[in-house]
Amino acid sequence: MLSSITVLTLDFRGAGFVSELRAAASTVFGPVRSAASTVFEPLTNAWNGMVNYDDLADENTELRAEIAELEGDAVRGADAIARAQDIEDATGLPTVRDLSAVLARVVSGPISNFDHTVELNRGSDHGVAEGMPVVTGSGLVGRVVQVTGGRSVVRLVTDPDFEVGVRHVLSREVGIAHGNGEGETLTVNDIAQGVEVQEGDSLTTSGIDRSIFPADIPVGTVSEVDSSSSLLAQELRLEPLADLDRLSFVSVLQWEPAP
Amino acid sequence: MIGARWALVIAVALTLQSSLVAGIELFGSRGDLVVLVVIAAALAGGPDQGAFVGFGAGLALDLLVQTPFGLSALALSITGYAIGSFQGTVLRSAWWIPVLNAGAGSMLGIVLFAVGGEMVGQDDLIRGDLAGIIAVVALINMLLILPAVRAARWAMTDTRPRLSSR
Repeated sequence: MLSSITVLTLDFRGAGFVSELRAAASTVFGPVRSAASTVFEPLTNAWNGMVNYDDLADENTELRAEIAELEGDAVRGADAIARAQDIEDATGLPTVRDLSAVLARVVSGPISNFDHTVELNRGSDHGVAEGMPVVTGSGLVGRVVQVTGGRSVVRLVTDPDFEVGVRHVLSREVGIAHGNGEGETLTVNDIAQGVEVQEGDSLTTSGIDRSIFPADIPVGTVSEVDSSSSLLAQELRLEPLADLDRLSFVSVLQWEPAP
Repeated sequence: MIGARWALVIAVALTLQSSLVAGIELFGSRGDLVVLVVIAAALAGGPDQGAFVGFGAGLALDLLVQTPFGLSALALSITGYAIGSFQGTVLRSAWWIPVLNAGAGSMLGIVLFAVGGEMVGQDDLIRGDLAGIIAVVALINMLLILPAVRAARWAMTDTRPRLSSR
């Protein structure tokens, strides 16, 4: 017990050997874990197929309707996108589209009930560095927290320790989004009272001064607005846009925050 | 030799946990084979064995997750010692006693981890679905405890040749 408390104290004080030990463990254990995941994948797929069949069927119906609606929005939005691109090109402002990215496959998910990380099959040998944002085509997945030569670990947006500066797209108001655990919505606490926010509104990364994420990465859509929690600010519940339950391929944006 | 066997048992448990058990959810929660190994060690070898295996298995798990390093080791070493101590007070030998101990040990291990984590600043470990996590982990461990105790007894077997006293 004393040894455990000693180790905990050293980690709490930021002893460097912990991250080195974890990197070494990941290097040794990673290939074993990947091989075992490949072997057991048919079993886990069969289980999830049996248990989640009804949910998947309902979700399939909803998604088909949503796709039809989005196809219409895409046509209407194409003109706005083209005009925005013209403005950005004219002003020379850097955007998230200008960033290079490393495509990676998710080789394993959270290990335990209290773990909110996934492991990727790309590491420092491929240009991945600690702190880089990780995204899918839908939106923000998380941030790289550990890197070895061939693998990296990503902390997901739903991790209770995860924070990201966000911007309400319509009003341009900024706040901080916090994770609340696997399967839970994110919480945004700092949107001022009086700012009109509705369910379905989108929030992106704010990218404001010394932010650890670049601007304009989609984060989530508002699922609930609570104006009664505080006199000065509203509390928003944010549904992540990225499907964190079915991650397979992600992009690691090669962007590092300013020192 | 015993240490090598325990290292193998813990490595197999971690591999199965990360590649098989982690991908199977029951009511939104996963099983926990690392807690199972610690409980099995305590039931087979007593409190000292339970604490030692709890520390080693917990530390190995802490290397693979991003929660505070040493938290799993602390929670599982206490769990192993507690279950091993309780097992020592049981006078009857019945098949259902280890099963009940597995349920109790699972609850203790999860609660100690969550409470310990909150004490070192990990937000939201004590949360609404904690009861569900405890129930799923306890259920799976109660089903697997008997073969796990066999594996623990194997790990504790000293196969070195004994020197003759003649």
